[in-house]
Amino acid sequence: MQILITSARHERCAALADYLAQFHEIRLTERAHVETAHEFVLSALGHDRSTNLLTRGMDAIIHAVEPLPDEDVSAQLDAATRCTYNLLMAAAQEGVSQVVLLSTLELMADYPAGYRVQETWRPLPRTQPPTLTKHLAEQVSREFAREGSLGIKILRLGEASNDTVAVAVGEALAEPASLAAKHRSREEGGAEAWSITHIGERA
Amino acid sequence: MNVLILGGAGMLGPYVARELAPAHNLRITDINPPKEDLPGEFLLLDAADLDGVVAAAEGMDAILNLSVLRRHRQTAWDVSTRGCYNMMQAAVTHGIRRVINTGPHYTVAGRHITEIHDFDIGPDIPPQPGTNLYALTKCIGLEICRVFTQHHDISVQHYLFYNFKDPAAIQPGERYAPYVISWENAAEVFTLGLDIDLDALPSRSEVFYVFADMPHGKFSNEKTKRILGFKPRQDVESLWK
Repeated sequence: MQILITSARHERCAALADYLAQFHEIRLTERAHVETAHEFVLSALGHDRSTNLLTRGMDAIIHAVEPLPDEDVSAQLDAATRCTYNLLMAAAQEGVSQVVLLSTLELMADYPAGYRVQETWRPLPRTQPPTLTKHLAEQVSREFAREGSLGIKILRLGEASNDTVAVAVGEALAEPASLAAKHRSREEGGAEAWSITHIGERA
Repeated sequence: MNVLILGGAGMLGPYVARELAPAHNLRITDINPPKEDLPGEFLLLDAADLDGVVAAAEGMDAILNLSVLRRHRQTAWDVSTRGCYNMMQAAVTHGIRRVINTGPHYTVAGRHITEIHDFDIGPDIPPQPGTNLYALTKCIGLEICRVFTQHHDISVQHYLFYNFKDPAAIQPGERYAPYVISWENAAEVFTLGLDIDLDALPSRSEVFYVFADMPHGKFSNEKTKRILGFKPRQDVESLWK
């Protein structure tokens, strides 16, 4: 499988690339240059042909929505919303079958301790990153799934090791692509085009 | 009341400014200079400029966001989405409790629930804008506003429009959406939004469909009339009569 991973500069994404490279062909991308042993493509995730070329030939995209060092709130909001939109629009145009969006379980942190919070509960973002930016990226991705142009799996990461996250991502990629599965009824076990899974523990 | 209008030199802005000017002190901003004389103070300002929006909001009692950029991806996200963040951050900074945001009807209804097949489409459905750039950028802006109202004592009224008409210019057989309002009638709703007791609103983030009474039954303006006291004019009826 050909897999594109965004936010290459982020330590978790680098670890994820190392893990998945055992089984798949990996392409990393970031909005600034990153030294890596894997294939790397510098991309601003803009509205231009380069974003289509970035996603062309990919079977899956792992979109991590992480900020660059010292990015202000405006830049982080721009990356989480506009850049996510550009990436997913290009992915849909290029026929990418599935997207895994790495979000955060901090979205559920304001529920009282001891509650058995599930994926179907309403997220409770705050007014600043990272919860606001992750939440907005989720919302943007949902509309692509709603229209059936992409299958999106949201992994909300809590307190979990890189190994745990890597295994969870691997399992998400191993599931049938939601876009194909959506043609089956839910009673037959068909996957939703937009699904959320909580990984690890809530802080 | 001191009122900041963002995007006030656009298409709807001059009508709103003329409506509000007799009773309010206006500070109007826009990325472009106005094409006509507007009442109050005018500042050139990009709604995507966080520091500029926060500075412009100083001393204000209310913020109205009329900014619109539909087609270009960078500016659509800058204005419709980050512009809302900037507006809400300005409201928090200056303790402004009253905000009125605007957008198109498909900010919540998307293009999946349409006037082709459906009836009684109301504003309180779960947002489902789809990937249309204008609808999605405005919807994410609305969501930013909603999140802020969950954490701060700020009320945001979202006024959604669709089709504007100048009654004097309506031609026989002219095409129209079943969700029309005259420019002057649209402006009147902002007076209601500035006057209403914020505690009378059902929540701190409320969406209103603003349009004339129409016989088609496709969309509903009932909530706008019931809560805001909106009085639709009968000035666009020549479209269907």
